[in-house]
Amino acid sequence: MIYLDNGATSFRKPPQVYRAVEEAMRACANPGRGGYPAAMRASETVYACREAAGRLLDCNPEQVVLTTSCTHGLNIAIRSLVKPGAKVTVSGFEHNAVTRPLHALDADIRVAGRRLFDWEDTLECFERELRRGVDAAAFTHVSNVFGYILPVERMAALCRERGVPFIIDAAQSAGTLPVSLRELGADFIAMPGHKGLLGPQGTGLLLCRGDARPLFFGGTGSDSVNQEMPDYLPDRLEAGTLNVPGYAGLTEGLRYLNKTGVESIFRREHRQLERCADGLKKLGMRVFAGEHQAGTVSFLPGMDCEEAAEVLARQGIAVRAGLHCAPLAHESAGTLESGTVRVSFGHDAADSQTDAFLRAAAKLPRY
Amino acid sequence: MRVFFITFRSVTFAQRGERLLSRNGHRCTLQRTPKWMETQGCGYCLRLKTEDVAPAVALLRENEVPMRKVYAQRPDGNLEEMAV
Repeated sequence: MIYLDNGATSFRKPPQVYRAVEEAMRACANPGRGGYPAAMRASETVYACREAAGRLLDCNPEQVVLTTSCTHGLNIAIRSLVKPGAKVTVSGFEHNAVTRPLHALDADIRVAGRRLFDWEDTLECFERELRRGVDAAAFTHVSNVFGYILPVERMAALCRERGVPFIIDAAQSAGTLPVSLRELGADFIAMPGHKGLLGPQGTGLLLCRGDARPLFFGGTGSDSVNQEMPDYLPDRLEAGTLNVPGYAGLTEGLRYLNKTGVESIFRREHRQLERCADGLKKLGMRVFAGEHQAGTVSFLPGMDCEEAAEVLARQGIAVRAGLHCAPLAHESAGTLESGTVRVSFGHDAADSQTDAFLRAAAKLPRY
Repeated sequence: MRVFFITFRSVTFAQRGERLLSRNGHRCTLQRTPKWMETQGCGYCLRLKTEDVAPAVALLRENEVPMRKVYAQRPDGNLEEMAV
């Protein structure tokens, strides 16, 4: 299989990730609950994950809250910052993981910036919404549909200048672009463990600077007499038993990234992005490509996008078609009706993958 | 050499403390906090065998690792809470 759906999950992980999951399943009991060796080994495994994440994402280990997914983290962040009916500005490229929790709170959602790959438009519209007055902001670092890298450093600076609390969705950037909690100064940054961070599914990270409200309540192995959740991180947000094998695998993914460097992974993905976009354009397809783009590209295949993905799948090519859980992004790009076919590269991106995909794409029927 | 216990509210703080102290030459062991020391239920602590615990406590404080309490072994072998 030529796997080009890394925007959904990274499929081929470094071998040490698989080994760590199995080792943890065999050696670890419940973390933070006991003092015998298997419990202490579990605690050590979990802390190693926080440390590796802290090193990659520039924060203290206790600011790293372990979640089950990016969506889980975003729900905690949004529930912490946004009161029912609050005014919240978002970019025009948000995933449902941001917009649905806001909708559930009946938030007054103000979309800022609809033009793809256009930092000037994004910043101008975003600043205008901040000037109009909002209670919070939430924005993606990279569009999961189009790979558009938003100017998050400058958006973060605008929020900080105006004292607007903000959340960054790093679902598509963590592991591919530098992400620093300290430098961005975000209240929360959420990310999955199983995409660019190369861990197993069922893992995620929420980096916290601000006051956090728990989404779940229960045992934490600490302050057990108190019926309130602990008032300190990470315990405040981590009720119940953690996915220790998952975080053991994630730790190895994080260590791989700390060693390899996200810049080198970005360069590798970006090279294939350009090769792929050029190739698709030569085939006469409409390609969404531009400046400030990560290793993801969407295109219109000249036929139904789901059927195109099906034809490609029969040739051993794995890509994702449709709306990618991001109708807002498609609305911004004018592809809400058609959807797109998305090609998303990963840490193992190579010319051979791209060329195999382009050969298969050349055979797509057009109508 | 005397035995000291530094207690923490969570295993994460205790682990951060353990890393910090070990890196700076303070040998310590991470373990569960004896029940009588922990009025809030469950917790973890660091056990140190040293002449003077003050440099370790100062290091933890400088690096903003929140401690709960410090206990010291008396000459009769019993432990008592220290003012920190």
